[in-house]
This record gives sequence, structure tokens and C-alpha cells, in this order.
Amino acid sequence: MRAIKILERVIATIPIMFGVAIMVFLFMRLTPGDPVDIMMGQGGAVSAGEMERLRHEFHLDQPLSIQLWLFLKDAFRGDLGYSYVQKRPVIDLIVERLPATIELALGALIFGLIIAMPVGIISAVRQNSLLDRFSMAGAFLGISMPAFWLGIILILVFSVRLHWLPVQGRIDHSAGLQEVTGLYVLDSLLTGNREAVASSLKHLALPAVTLGAGVAAVVARVLRSSMLETLRSDYVTLARAKGASEWMVVLKHALRNALIPTVTVVGLQIGVLLGGNMIVETVFGWPGLGRLVVTAIFNRDFPLVQGTVMVYAFTFVMANLIVDVLYTYLNPKITL
Amino acid sequence: MTVSRHVNSPIVGQVYVWRIRLGVWRRNAVNFVDELRKHPLALMGGIVILVYVLAAILAPYITAYDPARGNLRLRLDPPAWHPEGDWAYALGTDAQGRDLLTRIVYGARVSLTVGLLSVGISATVGTILGAITGYFRGRLDDLVSRFADLLLAFPYLIFAIGVMAFLGSGFTNLILALTFKGWVEFFRLVRGETLSEKTQEYVEAARVTGLRHAAIIAREILPNIIQSVFVLSTLRMGHMIIMEASLSFLGLGIPPHIPAWGSMVAAGRDYLLVAWWVSTFPGLAILFLVLSINVFGEGLRDILDPRLKIE
Amino acid sequence: MNSIQQEILLELRNLSTVYPTKRGLVRAVDGVGFSVKRGQILGIVGESGCGKSTVLLSILRLIRRPGYIDQGQIIFRGQDLRGLSSNAMRNIRGREISMIFQDPLSTLNPAFQIGQQIHESLRLHQVIDGSRSLGPLKMGQRAREKERVLEVMTEVGIPSPVDRYTAYPHQFSGGMQQRALIAIALVCEPALLLADEPTTALDVTIQAQILDLMRRINQNRGTAIILVTHDLGLAAEFCDTIAVMYAGRIVEQGPVDDVVANPQHPYTQGLLACRPRISERGQRVQPIPGNVPDLAELPPGCPFAPRCSYQRGACDEGPIPLVSTSLGNISRCLLHVDYRRQKDWKWTDRVALEA
Repeated sequence: MRAIKILERVIATIPIMFGVAIMVFLFMRLTPGDPVDIMMGQGGAVSAGEMERLRHEFHLDQPLSIQLWLFLKDAFRGDLGYSYVQKRPVIDLIVERLPATIELALGALIFGLIIAMPVGIISAVRQNSLLDRFSMAGAFLGISMPAFWLGIILILVFSVRLHWLPVQGRIDHSAGLQEVTGLYVLDSLLTGNREAVASSLKHLALPAVTLGAGVAAVVARVLRSSMLETLRSDYVTLARAKGASEWMVVLKHALRNALIPTVTVVGLQIGVLLGGNMIVETVFGWPGLGRLVVTAIFNRDFPLVQGTVMVYAFTFVMANLIVDVLYTYLNPKITL
Repeated sequence: MTVSRHVNSPIVGQVYVWRIRLGVWRRNAVNFVDELRKHPLALMGGIVILVYVLAAILAPYITAYDPARGNLRLRLDPPAWHPEGDWAYALGTDAQGRDLLTRIVYGARVSLTVGLLSVGISATVGTILGAITGYFRGRLDDLVSRFADLLLAFPYLIFAIGVMAFLGSGFTNLILALTFKGWVEFFRLVRGETLSEKTQEYVEAARVTGLRHAAIIAREILPNIIQSVFVLSTLRMGHMIIMEASLSFLGLGIPPHIPAWGSMVAAGRDYLLVAWWVSTFPGLAILFLVLSINVFGEGLRDILDPRLKIE
Repeated sequence: MNSIQQEILLELRNLSTVYPTKRGLVRAVDGVGFSVKRGQILGIVGESGCGKSTVLLSILRLIRRPGYIDQGQIIFRGQDLRGLSSNAMRNIRGREISMIFQDPLSTLNPAFQIGQQIHESLRLHQVIDGSRSLGPLKMGQRAREKERVLEVMTEVGIPSPVDRYTAYPHQFSGGMQQRALIAIALVCEPALLLADEPTTALDVTIQAQILDLMRRINQNRGTAIILVTHDLGLAAEFCDTIAVMYAGRIVEQGPVDDVVANPQHPYTQGLLACRPRISERGQRVQPIPGNVPDLAELPPGCPFAPRCSYQRGACDEGPIPLVSTSLGNISRCLLHVDYRRQKDWKWTDRVALEA
């Protein structure tokens, strides 16, 4: 039953994916200027004959609908075009940078949840206590703070002043890490390279905290308010009347139900993580997709921008799909 | 508002209706101020916002310096309380010897204008589309709803950056990039509320008295939703301001010759080792403004529309 | 009435539960005392907000902060529950004293299967002995626990319990939800069942079924029941003794026949008079005038006085004592104190009368 529902939900994302691809395609075509020039970006000036050849190569001599069809066909095969600036296929560039971005996003998500879960729960259980007031004030600061500024302040404090943590990069090359998955923390654990574990964690710390702070703030607030609601519910009174201990009442009966709205919000926060990673990667010189797309924009490398934006959107759709599936496990009332 | 719902007789005339409505509004305004007093934090937030707005408007009278022209002999001057600081440049100067405080005050103009315009346009477009589609349903509803779903598949900042990449930086393009996706939230809110309001008896009653559809939407349904739209607008404002600052930080927003907080923070990045203040103060300006707007918005929600949940 | 029914199971003495509010201390329960014998059914009747549900929550010490039990004793099987540690209290809850609630849908946890929720009570109290189980997996214990759950589900009338074990609350009808709730309360075979308006949220036909089920449990197992309800008619049909509450106090108490046939307190009389009866068509229903008083601003005297047709000056002067009436009821009204109906009765005479 549930498997079918999940499959249905997966199939439902297909039109969305198509829509995303079509929209990205249209944006590219609607950009003012000569398409060849635009696609070449800063690839350089080309002769008239060359122009004609490229026009044919990009199928620009075909009607728009054919162009769209060819674009979708290529995209489906994993061909996201060619970066004339970097002289490499777009998909290669993206695949190369993806692990760094995934590592940063996962690090931020984990940091955010590790902070948010206990803070949200304790703030709700001890409502109006000093701890509650402090953490909610902190959360309010967190949602009002621009990520790029937080990153810079963290650099000022932990790198410039205290010299505790590095400013740039993912790892010290002297650690001699052997790459397996491309996620450096994971790789260094897998290869048992202690020096690399320390180095990669040190490099990840500030970017992950910067990116995860907003997530922590939002999730803590939502978790607290939904915990306050579930703690007031009749089923919590019943659990107490059954003779359940206080921590069981909180962690089993109240938390389980409070997670339902929280998971939705975490799903939305993944969009913030993906968007924010562009900022954070720029601040910390983190060699991921975000750096790639920002550089591509300045180089007017449009095929690369187009491909990266599409990959971001696909990732977001997939992340939400996972959240939706998780949601069905948490909330028996929902049948997708 | 409850009163005006039931007075729909065209014979009694709109004058009567409007007199009641004005009375209700005046009473609401008085109640609102009373309520605001009970939320001292929200009130404080409102006051800080007001200070920012006044500073933005009166910028040339507040500071004697030109935000664009610097004194190269005063490059990276520290803030006044620093031993080498100078009260003439209270928050210090940047790498081109421009007074930071001056640039921050002028920067408020950009943030506030972008925030107001992008939220205003988003709210207007979203409300109109939401009310129409929610009321009539049908194919237009399907179309707009699908399009909204599609836009939601893009992370906001990615979308805005993508649009800016193709359109190029600039004030108008920035507003366009922010509103292109910004209307969706208002659309979803208003559409949902319209759907539920439509089933209410007073709408049915209005139909029976022969009011036209457009009149029902504008005079019966919208007045009941507008408070939620207002609350959402305030809560989205801070978000838009951070978006603008982020784009400007990346160099994709406001052109560099106009002082904007985001690009000021970015400019200070090269001098973190020697001049921490260049990046720090513009960021603090963003933080205080957005914090005040959020505090004010939450207070507003508690007062006007406690059941509205936005994160 | 046989001899074991004479043993007193629960006795409340002068119990008060208060809630601090911005407008002062609200005494939701004010000096309530009664006793329940084994196998007996006590009905607590009153309008909403009179503190009757708070009495039940106080017995289980489940009053939510900032509320607290201010004074009095809750003597269960000879020991004062107020003196127990929170651990010892947990062993009482669900094991010795269980509770069922008014709204079954919101009381069942929406995230867990019905069977799991019934099972939880069993596990919490280790009712099924695990010592004879094989190995550390306790497979035998688990199986026997599940057996017991299914047994209880059958007992409360949930059809095909094996299938229903894995169902979620929202998949049940209101009546089935209430049965499941009763199963949760009964699974550990408690001596006392607290029922807080268990039929209010249900259809009339289902109400009768649930009451029937509760009566069966009472008769088969000798489980004592405290039934809280706003419906005096229902209480009259179901209970052995009745306590009528008003504004946090008991105003009349006695065996069901006496209270219903010969109500002594004007409030009880009012409750009976405003009950519509099919057998007496044409006779007007007489509502009690006025509203339930604000608990934060109670008068020093009788809180019912403003709505009472027998009201006179002395009613407002000070607290009214509970006195035995000629019938064996006890009632909190000056009517009984002042049986001589002297016109110039003075409050100071009270002491003399009580002595």
C-alpha cells in the first residue's frame, strides 16, 4: 500500500522536473542578445562563418519547439551542454563540484538539527524559563541574520582573532587524503586518516555553522511551538494517566507528534540550505556548486549557469520527495 | 467588519456601508494602538523601523559627507572609540576613505526601497491572482497553481540568482527577480483563504442580494483576508531585505556605485585582517533592521491574526 | 449490597485545588470530600466549569501547572496519595486507578496503533510476569502481553481485535475510539475507574452501549467507578451515590434515590426541573436563571445565592456548612439549617445550630 503511494508520489515529480527544465530553457532563450554570443560567454569573439556553424550546432536554425525537444532529450541523457569558457562539458564540472556542496549541506543540516532538537524540546518543556527565553531570543537573532555576515563575523572571531580555525578550503593537503566518495570527512574516516579527519572537520566547522545557524533557528522555533501544542494535548494527559514517566511522555508521545509539522519545515529549509550554500561557499572559498555558479555568472558562462540552476532545482525536488515520504511514516493520517 | 457584511441593500446605499466601515476601521486603529502597547517589543521594533525610514529619507541632512566620494588620505580609519579613531568618522572609513556611517545611512534607502517595492508588488499580484483563482476556480486556477508549484521547485535564492544572471544586475531587475517568485506565497495564502471564505454564509447572502462577482470579491471577501496579507507582508519584508543584501554581496544586485549594505560587507572582506569594521557595521545595520521588522511582524500577527503560521 | 462493598477504596478529605491567575487565586475545587467503596459507582454532577473534572485529575495528581492541590487528603487504600513520591504515584496511575476521557479522538495518540497504545499500559506496569519467559528476548512475555491486549479488546467489544490491533485512531468510529480508551484503562485491571464525561461526545445509541459496557465491567470485576457528568438523568440511572457540585464545592450528596427523588438543595432541584422528560409532555422545562459564577470572584457566602429562589440575606454572609438533612442526604444550604424558618435568623446563630 505505502510502496504504491510512494511510487505515485515519485511519478508526480516528473512533470515538475520537466517544468523546471522547460523554464530554465526559456529563460536562456529569452535573455536579450545574440544566443551564440550568450552561449559563448567570454569564450571570445568568433568570425561570421564560425557563427553560422555554431548556430547550426546549437540548433538555433530550428524552430523553438524542436530546440526545446533537443534540449530535453540531451538533459535526460545527462548532457547539460558545454561550457565554452571552461572548455568542458557542464555535467563534468557539476559532478566534480557536487561532493563538496553535499558535504557542506549535510554538515549544516546535521549541525542545525543537533542544536535545534534539544533546544526546541527543552524550551517547550521549560516554557518561559531563562533557558527558553535565551534560546528563543537567539533563534530570533538567527532568523534575522544574513548568512554572509555571520560567516564574516565567525572568521573575524575564530580565524583572525583566535587563530583556531582556517578561513578557506576544505582540507590541508599535507594530510594526504585519499578520495573515495568526495565527502572529505567521510573519506578520512573511511581511510582511517586521523590527521585528515581533524583537518577536514576544522575546515568544515565554520561554513557548516554559518549555513546551519538559520536552519537551527527556524527548526528550534517550530519544534518548540509544536511541542507546546502537543504537550497540552489530551493524549499527553492520557499518557500520564497511564503511568508513563515524564521523559517518556515528552520524548515518545509529545515529540512524535510535534515532529510532523517540524519535518515539513525542515523540508522547506533544504531550499534555504541550497540557496545559502552559494553565499557560504563564496565567503569561505568552498569549492562547490555555489562557487561554480557565481563564477559562471561573472564569466557570462550561461550553459554552466543553466545546468547548475537545473541541478539545484532537481536536488530540491528530490529532497522534498524524501521529506514527503518521511512524513507518511510519521503521520499515519496522511496517505500522500 | 461583521456589520458591513450584512448590509448589502443597494437602497440603503453605499454611504451607509462606508460610514459603518470607516467607523470600524477607526475603532480597529484605536484598538490596534492599544494592543501594540501590550506588546512592548513589537512597539520597539516599530520605532526602530521608523528611525531607519527617517534616516533614509533625511540622509543628506544627517550626514555632511558624500557617500560616493572618499578621502584617500583617510583610508580604513578605525571607529571613533578606537585609540586612532576620530569622531568626525564615527564608525570609521572604508578602503576608499569614505565615511562608513554615511554609507550605511544611504544604504538604508536601497534596502527599504527594495523591501517595500518587492513585497508590495508580490503582495498585490499574489492577492489579485489568489482571490480570482480561489473564487472562480476553473482552468485559470489550474494554470496559475501549476505555475506556482513550478516556481516552488526552485530554492528562492537560486531562482533570484538565476534570473539576475540572465537579466544582469540593476535595481529594476533586482525587484523583478525578487517578485517573480515572491508572489507565490501571497497567492497561496489568499487563494486558500478565499476558498474557505467563499463557503461562508455571508458570501452566499451577498450572492442572493444580486451583488456581482467582482463586487463580492472586492467588498466582501478581500476585507476579511487583508489583515493576513498585511501580516505576511511584514514577515516577508525582512526576508526580501536579506535576499537583496545577499545578491548585492555576491555582486549581482545593486550596481557597485550605489551604497548598499550587502556590497559594503563584501567590500570589507579584503580587509578583515586590518579593518574589521568595514564589514561588521553594514551587517549590523541589516541585522537590526531585519530583527526589528521581524519582531514587529510577529507582534502584528499576534494582534491581527494569531492563527496564521508562517516560517 | 454484600460485605466486600463496604470496604472504602478512596476517600477525599477537604480537597482543594487552585489555579493562580492574573485575577487572583481560583479555587477550582474547594473543600471537596467524599468516599467510594469497592464496587460502588459514584456520580459527580454539575455544570461545566464547576470543577468536577478537576476533582478527577486531582485524584491522579495530574493537575497542570500553574495549578496545584492546595490542601486535603486523597486516601486510597489507606494511604494518602499526596504523600507518595512521583515514582510511587506512577505505579498507581493506570495500574490501580485508571481514567477515561471525554473526547476519545483527541485522547488517543494519533501517531500510534490502537494495539500499541493498549499494550503500553501493560508494559509500563509489567503486569504480565516476565520471569517465566524464555531467554533475554522475552518472546514469551511479549506474546502473552499481546494476548492480554486482544482479550481486553474483545471484552470492551471491539470486533475482530487481531485486525484492529494495528489500526490507527482516526480509522475508528467515535464509539470504537471510546471502547479503545476503555480498553487502555482496563488492561491492568484497576480497582478504580475515573470516567470524565465518557459519553458526551458520542451519539445517543452509542452512549447507551458504552454505559452498558461500563456497568458490565463494574458488575463482573467489582471495579469502582467515579462518573463525572453534567447529566443528572444519566447519573440517576447509572450511579449508586451522587455528589452535586457547584462552583468547586459539593452542594448535595447522598444515595441516588434520595437525591433524585427528594432533592434538598435548591440547585439540585433546579437541575432536575430543567431536564426535559418525554413522559411529562406539555410540562414546561424550567431553566435555572442566571449564569455559572466567576470562580475568581466568588461571594463570601453561597455562590448559588444569586440564582436561587430561596435566597435571603443570610446566604451572603459567610460560608455555608454541609449539613445532614432529615433524609440522610447532606446538603450545603441554609434551608436545612434554618428549618424553623425564622424570619430574623442571624448568621451568628449558625454556631449554636451546629453544636
